[in-house]
Amino acid sequence: MKALNESDWPERSRELSQLLARAGLGDRAAFGRLYERTSGHLYAVVLRIQRDRAMAEDLLQEIYVSVWKAAASFDAARSQPLTWLTHIARNRAIDSLRRAQAQPRTESLSADEDDDRPDPHEALASEGPGPLDLLGQASDRRQLTQCMEHLSPPQRQSVALAFYDGLSHAEVAEQLREPLGTVKSWVRRALQTLKGCLERAAVRDDGKAA
Amino acid sequence: MDYANPRLADALAAQYVAGTLRGRARARFETLLPSHPTLQGAVRDWQGRLMPLTGVLPEQAPPARVWRGIQQRLWPALAPLPWWQRLSLWRAVSGAALVAVLGLTVLVASPPPAQAPVVVVLQSTGGDPTVAGSIVASFSGDGRSLVARPLTPVSLQSDRVLELWWAPAQGKPKSLGLMKADGVTLLSRGQLPGGLRGSGIDHMAVSVEPPGGSPTGQPTGPVVFYGKL
Repeated sequence: MKALNESDWPERSRELSQLLARAGLGDRAAFGRLYERTSGHLYAVVLRIQRDRAMAEDLLQEIYVSVWKAAASFDAARSQPLTWLTHIARNRAIDSLRRAQAQPRTESLSADEDDDRPDPHEALASEGPGPLDLLGQASDRRQLTQCMEHLSPPQRQSVALAFYDGLSHAEVAEQLREPLGTVKSWVRRALQTLKGCLERAAVRDDGKAA
Repeated sequence: MDYANPRLADALAAQYVAGTLRGRARARFETLLPSHPTLQGAVRDWQGRLMPLTGVLPEQAPPARVWRGIQQRLWPALAPLPWWQRLSLWRAVSGAALVAVLGLTVLVASPPPAQAPVVVVLQSTGGDPTVAGSIVASFSGDGRSLVARPLTPVSLQSDRVLELWWAPAQGKPKSLGLMKADGVTLLSRGQLPGGLRGSGIDHMAVSVEPPGGSPTGQPTGPVVFYGKL
């Protein structure tokens, strides 16, 4: 897990690690500062997946209650704090999803229901950037764009919908109007490509650092 | 399934971290995780790969009620009201002002070390339900004298006294001496760690001890007040 050239993720690490360590010792003020520094990000992550604001607020409370309780077990040598926090947040948000709640989010996909092949960008229109745009921005920042171009647009789109918006394989399949098996293999392929890209980027960074 | 197989572990961890492993498969995976180091390693690697992708999400400020709710869930006795309505806040503010005046008086009377005093408010921890209120402590600017005073007299059993402690972020507390439960205590040079800056003081606490103070050199009774520097 080499530090990636990713915005301020590792930069914020040291401060957040210290705050987490102090929270683990029962320091409430440090926990308050941790909340100030991270809640905007975690709320954004949760809201993408759980769009019901009241539920998202409840989830955020549960997330920070778990963080307080688990803070002592955070191991700064093995994980970055934002990575650890984001995983907890995503996990809670995904667990909160029920099929019934996930369903209405796929309503406003295509203006033209008769269109057999909805334009992917239009299909993803929603408040805030679409998941595919987000994946594009993230790839730009991590200089993975070229590498990610090896994926077909539907492959990229499947993984972006699953990852950013928390859709299950079945929901992605429904949204893209593709067979479930196809979507599963797209997501698998996209994840493997991403892994390959990141490993090569890490090797590049090592080379530069040397 | 053979979860020690790195390829299988990697594939499952990828789907778990990406969020596409759902339902019973997800629950089963989470049950297995604590006892399978190969899976744990794979999950950590995938978290490191995928979580930074969320860095592009524009931050969304949660409403203030979320933080209040968290405090209420974690420390129900402490957050009954929004902070600006709490009596203890106003007591602390007026107490801090009083102590600051005392500290300033000392400063004005004895120039020149013109560093501002450092005021610490120690809040009741609930460690002893009969003890409530706050204590205000003010270090002189050079850290060589300290004034401490409970905002309201602290009622104690007749055979118990209050002892004041300071401690670094990590490590054992050190005694600053006994303090009066119902008035101003002045501690001076020799009883204090010396210069405040660089002393490593992170927080202060007050414990209930037998007459004469803790026999062990460490707090033995309940810690009843606590405050960060």
